[in-house]
Amino acid sequence: MPAGLIIVVIVLALCVAGLFDADSTLRKSNAKGDGWRNEIAKTVASVTDTLHINFFRNSIDDALGKNQGTKIDVEELLRRQVEAENAASAEAAKKVPVLPAPTPATPMKIWVGGDSITQTFGISFQRITQSTGIFTPTLDYHVSTGLSRPDYYNWPEHLVKDVLPANPSILVIMFGANDGQNMIGADGKVLVRASEPWMAEYRRRVAATMDLLKSPDNQRITIWCGPPPMGPGTKTRGMDLMSYIYWSEAQSRPWIQYFDTWPFFSDSSLAFSANLPNADGVVRSMRQKDNVHFSTAGGDRLSWAVIDRIGKLVNLKAGNVTPPAAQAPPASLVERTETPPSMPGAE
Amino acid sequence: MLFPTVDFAVFFLVVFTGSWLLRPHKIAWRWFILASSCVFYGWWDWNYLMLLFLSIGINWFLGLAVFRSLTPEGERTNTSRWLVRIAVVVNLGILGYFKYFDFFVSTIADKMRSIGISVDAPVLNIILPIGISFFTFQAISYVIDIGRGQWRKPLTILDFAVYLSFFAHLVAGPIVRASEFAPQLDEVPDPRYVRSAEAFMLIFRGMFKKVVISSFLATQIVDPVFANPNAYGPLAVLWAVYAYAIQIYADFSGYTDIAIGVALLLGIRFPQNFDSPYIALSLQDFWSRWHMTLSRWLRDYLYIPLGGNRGSKAMTYRNLFLVMIIGGLWHGANWTFVVWGAIHGSYLVAERIVKAKWKGHELGLPPLLVKAMQWFLVFNVVCLAWVFFRATSVDEAFTLLGRLFASAGSNAGVSLLLIFVIVASVASQFVPQRFPQKAEVWFATWAPALQLAALAGGLVLVDALGPEGIAPFIYFQF
Repeated sequence: MPAGLIIVVIVLALCVAGLFDADSTLRKSNAKGDGWRNEIAKTVASVTDTLHINFFRNSIDDALGKNQGTKIDVEELLRRQVEAENAASAEAAKKVPVLPAPTPATPMKIWVGGDSITQTFGISFQRITQSTGIFTPTLDYHVSTGLSRPDYYNWPEHLVKDVLPANPSILVIMFGANDGQNMIGADGKVLVRASEPWMAEYRRRVAATMDLLKSPDNQRITIWCGPPPMGPGTKTRGMDLMSYIYWSEAQSRPWIQYFDTWPFFSDSSLAFSANLPNADGVVRSMRQKDNVHFSTAGGDRLSWAVIDRIGKLVNLKAGNVTPPAAQAPPASLVERTETPPSMPGAE
Repeated sequence: MLFPTVDFAVFFLVVFTGSWLLRPHKIAWRWFILASSCVFYGWWDWNYLMLLFLSIGINWFLGLAVFRSLTPEGERTNTSRWLVRIAVVVNLGILGYFKYFDFFVSTIADKMRSIGISVDAPVLNIILPIGISFFTFQAISYVIDIGRGQWRKPLTILDFAVYLSFFAHLVAGPIVRASEFAPQLDEVPDPRYVRSAEAFMLIFRGMFKKVVISSFLATQIVDPVFANPNAYGPLAVLWAVYAYAIQIYADFSGYTDIAIGVALLLGIRFPQNFDSPYIALSLQDFWSRWHMTLSRWLRDYLYIPLGGNRGSKAMTYRNLFLVMIIGGLWHGANWTFVVWGAIHGSYLVAERIVKAKWKGHELGLPPLLVKAMQWFLVFNVVCLAWVFFRATSVDEAFTLLGRLFASAGSNAGVSLLLIFVIVASVASQFVPQRFPQKAEVWFATWAPALQLAALAGGLVLVDALGPEGIAPFIYFQF
C-alpha cells in the first residue's frame, strides 16, 4: 500500500476506533483527571452519544459483563429495597440486628468481599471461618475496584443483584484502596480527589451502599472494615479520610458495624508498620512488599480480629473460635473509639 | 512512551508522515529519526538521554579508533585488540554501575554481616535507565564486529546515533546488529510499496498479546499468587506457573511484534525475535526460538570467544553453563536470575550428555509419544525456571514451589476461562507458520476501506477486552 494511503488508513482507523471507544476513553480520562485531554474526550463522547455511535462498543461491554455508564445508579437499586423496607419494623431497624447463634448443624452464611486487599484477607478469612465449623463463607473480591468507578465495577449493583439474593447473615466488606482518584459527580462533572464536592459525593455513595445492605427483617449485619494504613512508597492515598467517612456514616446505621483495622496494622503511635508482633510475641511481616496488600500473616491477624468482633454481636460459642496465638493480634490491641478525619503521615 | 497508547499513536503518525516525506533527503531524514527517537526515549525521563548520548559518543569514537588500528587488509593488531577490550570494559562498566552496583555492594555487606562484621554499605539506590541493556549490547556488537574485521564500514556519528537510538528497538529490542541496520539507512524504499498488511497484522497481534492476554493472566492469577503463594493451593500455584510462562511470552513477543511492525511501516526490517518457543522439543531448540537476537548475541560475543565447542567436552559444558549464567545476570542483579540461568545451563549440559550417550539407541516407543514426552519435559523445565525469573527472591521461589505440594489452600483465580487462555496460547504455537502468512497475503488483497474497518475493529476489540490502563512491558526493566 502506498505510504500516503497508509496515513489515511491509520488516521481514519484511529478516528473510527476513537469514536467507538469514546465512552471508555472518557472514563479512563476522567479517572486520571487529564486536563485538556479530558476536554477532548468529553467532546468526542458527547458527539458519539448524540449519534449513538457508542452502541457497538457498549454492546461488547454488555456481552463481557462490563458496565459502561459513568454514573452510579443507586436510586433504582434503592427503589427495589423500598418495598421490603416497608415491611420491616421501623423500631427494629434502629437496633443492631440480633442474629441466631450458628452451630455446626446450622452454620451461618458469611460473605467477604471488596477490592484486591480483600483478596489475601478474604482467603485467610475463608480458611479460618471454615475451620470454626459454624460458618459457610463465600469470598468475592474484584481487583482494582471500589466505589469511585462504578463504570469499571458497580459494587452497589453487584451487591443487590448477586450477593444479597444468596441471603448471607453477615457481610464483611472492605473498600478504599482504589478510591483515591477523581470521580464523576451526579451532574457528570469531574470531582477532584479529596475536594469538598468529591467528599460529599463519596459520602453519598457510601451511605447509599450502606442503605442497600439493610435487610427488610433486620436480620443481617455488615462488618464494614476501614482500610489499613498504607506504607511508604505506595500510591494509595487518603485512607484516613475514607475511614472517617465509613465510620461516621456507620454511626447512624446499626446494621453496619464499622471495624477499625488501623490500630491492628500500625505501631503504638498509629503510624504504618509492616512488621508487628502477634499474640505469641513473634514479630511477623503483615504486608506484602508493596506495603499495601496483606501477607498471609496479616490476613490471618485481621481475620481473627474480625471474628472476635463478630463474636461480640453473635453467639459463636458452638464453634472453634479460639485463635492460635501465632495468628491473632495481641489482646491489648483494640479499635479506636472514634475515627479522626486525618492521620499524620497517612497522605 | 508505551506502544499501545494514544500518545504513541499521535507520535507515530507524525514520525510516519515526516519519515516518508524526508526519506529522499538522507541527512534530513536521519536527523528527523534521531530527534524522534530522542522524544520517544525522553518521554520517560529527559535525563536518560544524556546516558544514551554518552554511549553513542564513546562507542562511535572507539569503533572508529578500532577500525583505524586494523591492518589495511582488515587484520587485527595489538592496538585494535586493546581498543576492543577497552570498549567492552567501558560498556560493561556503565551497565554494571547502573545495574549491578547496589546488588554487589549489598551482597558483600550481607556476607560481612553473616560473619559478624557490621558494615554500612554505600547503596546508591540507582535508577536503571530504560533499555540500557539493549543499547549497550548493540554498541558492544558494533565495536567487536569492527575489531574482528566483520564490519568494514565504520558509521558516521549520525548514522551510529540513528542505529543505536532508533525508537522502535531502543527499549526492549530486538538486538539489531549494525550489519543488519546500517545498509537500510542508505536505501530509499519506494513509498508506493510499503509492507502495510504485514505491519498491521504484526501490530494487531502484538497489541492483542500484550493488552489482552498478558494483562489478563497477570491480574487473574500470576500477580496474586506470586505475591502471596502461602495463601494458595497446588492447583492455583500450578496454573499460575503456566500462566506466567504465557504471560512473559505474550508480553515480550507482543512488544517485539509491535516494534517490528512499526519499523516495517517506516521501511526498516528487523530480525525475527520469537519463533513459537513453546513447541521446542529440546532446550537448545527453545533457545533458537526464544529471544533469538539475544541468543545470537550470547553465542557470537560470549560463547564462541569463551571457546564454544572447539575444546574438550568438559570445556564445552563449562562454556554453555557460563553463558547461561551470564545471560541470566544480564536480565538483572538478583540471585533469582542466576538460578534461572543455572537451570537452563545445567539442562543444556545434561541434554548434550544424554544425547551423546543415547545416540543410536531406540526406546522402542512410538516417535510421536517420544516427541510428546520431550515437549512436556522441556516445557515444564522452562516453566520451572520462569518461577525463579518471576520471584523477587530465591526463597520466595522455593516457597511458591513448595505450595505445589501443599495439602490445602485457596484455588481463587483458577477458572475455565483462565485454563482456556493458557491452553489455547500454547496450542496456537503449534499452528504452522504458513497459516498466518496466508492470512497476511489474503489481508493484503483487501481494499483499503476494508483494511481500515478491520484495523478500527481490532483496536476497539483490544480496548474492550483489555484492562483499564496498560502496565509497562516486562522487558523494559532489563
